[in-house]
Amino acid sequence: MTRYGLGRLAWVAAALAAILFALTPLVWMVLTSLKSNREITQETSLVPESLTSANYVSLFSGREFGAYLTNSIVVTTLSVAIALILGTQAAYVLARFRLWGGMQRYVGFSLLMVRLLPPVVIIIPIFLVAQQFGLLNTQLSLIVVYATFNVTIVVWMMESFFREIPVDLEEAAMVDGDTRFTAFRRIVLPLAAPGLVATGIFAVITTYNEFLFALVLTSTPAAETMPVGAATLIGRINVDWGAMSAAGVIGALPIVVFSIFVQKHLVRGLTMGAVK
Amino acid sequence: MATVMTPSAVGRTFRGSGLDRALPYLMLGPTLFLVLGVIVYPLIDGLRSSTGFFRFGRLVRSVGLDNYSRAFADPAFIDALLTTARFVFLVVTIETVLGLALALLVSREGRFIRRIRATLILPMIITPVVVGIVFRLIYASDVGLLASIAHAVGLDPPQILSSGTGAFWGLVVLDVWEWTPLLFLILLAGIQSMPVEPFEAARVDGASAWRSFVDHTLPLLRPTILVAVTLRAIEALTTFDQVYVLTRGGPGTSTQLISIYGYQTFFQFQETGYAAAMLFMVALVVLLAAGFAVGLMRRRGR
Repeated sequence: MTRYGLGRLAWVAAALAAILFALTPLVWMVLTSLKSNREITQETSLVPESLTSANYVSLFSGREFGAYLTNSIVVTTLSVAIALILGTQAAYVLARFRLWGGMQRYVGFSLLMVRLLPPVVIIIPIFLVAQQFGLLNTQLSLIVVYATFNVTIVVWMMESFFREIPVDLEEAAMVDGDTRFTAFRRIVLPLAAPGLVATGIFAVITTYNEFLFALVLTSTPAAETMPVGAATLIGRINVDWGAMSAAGVIGALPIVVFSIFVQKHLVRGLTMGAVK
Repeated sequence: MATVMTPSAVGRTFRGSGLDRALPYLMLGPTLFLVLGVIVYPLIDGLRSSTGFFRFGRLVRSVGLDNYSRAFADPAFIDALLTTARFVFLVVTIETVLGLALALLVSREGRFIRRIRATLILPMIITPVVVGIVFRLIYASDVGLLASIAHAVGLDPPQILSSGTGAFWGLVVLDVWEWTPLLFLILLAGIQSMPVEPFEAARVDGASAWRSFVDHTLPLLRPTILVAVTLRAIEALTTFDQVYVLTRGGPGTSTQLISIYGYQTFFQFQETGYAAAMLFMVALVVLLAAGFAVGLMRRRGR
């Protein structure tokens, strides 16, 4: 075999190994969720012999997975929408204006630090404040907390997008009679649309997946989100492997479906969210 | 980038009508209000509780900095710190090496390669709680994937979550599975934005692929690697969800990371002040690292 052919073979083998490593755990969860509990515990077979949907049915009839799903969708949608509306305006200000005392620079820096603050270091203070205001176990408390963390992400990601848009365009619009704000809305926002999409994708994924705030701030299906629902279920059942794996599949499904839906912009959203 | 805000543009902004002059503050206001109310105020409130002694979740008396000094005399705290440090060091190192290898593997363009990339990032999209479930289904000593494979080839099933060492390494593997894609994505973006000239020159000179990697790729990629490693270390430092689902810190304290210990101190033992003090010390480390990361990113952005 030529050197080129050998290198190509090694490449294919490495790529295959990486894909197997990434997919096998997920495939195993899906397979387990389709087996009956008798088959899971007695046969220890790799592939299910007869498929059953019983594990899934039990999540929605006997347990509250419908409510978790609704809560997750409501909380994620509203908090990301609020963050996008408020955050783009703030980012625009930081990119374009000189504020009193050069404040815009410190504001940008502080928001960035907040964005990097992990939930666990601030969860106790937020719990205590939510308790004071009687907001525990409400969708509202989650929406407000998520909107705040998301808004810092939006400002961070959108500021550089706005900087790259030439200021002449807004000025031309203002000469034509637009106010500064309508120029922002009519001219700048459409030009920044790719950035908005990437930011929105990143925010939706992190918000839907968030666990700690939801675990601490909610306690019943009235406000519990999907990750909390799945985690508390498996805390209670322990040996019901079928239900556990089905809960895992249902828990991840919304975000996987969302990712497939936005796949063209997914890689950019994730990369920008991480480093931009 | 910085030239956009020309002096003339700024001047025109400030010659606008009264409403235009107030506009930036009106547009920035709601964001600042949210951050001050939801993060800054609770943080200050929490700093106050970190100096208090609580019984059944109620403030009994102020104890000054006792909660902070108590931490360093608490073997469980030190133990959790060491476990966390070991965990962070291992996962960040392994993920950086694997992520770099993967990025080099699929850095060329092509439709097939784009498919591979989309598949490889799947683990980092999956909800962390679900990742915990996935790995319980793999490690379970009776019905797990590893046990089933061992059964199929006639070996004894491995006991992973029942031994301390096994559980710790099980957690490391979980984290590597979940977050190598992040390092991969960041480093891939770095590789794709590198200039091509040095590599062409090296090829003309007949340099081997390895030499060109050591001489050109690594030095050019160093700033990106540094940012990626710092960001990943910050997140790994406060890993919580996956441990909560997989082991709850056990068996014993073998997977008790600092976030899990802080959480339990607060919600199970109701020691509000002590838990707050511990987590504030973690926050301090995180903020220092974050400041470092932000500095790096700003420098790179110029």
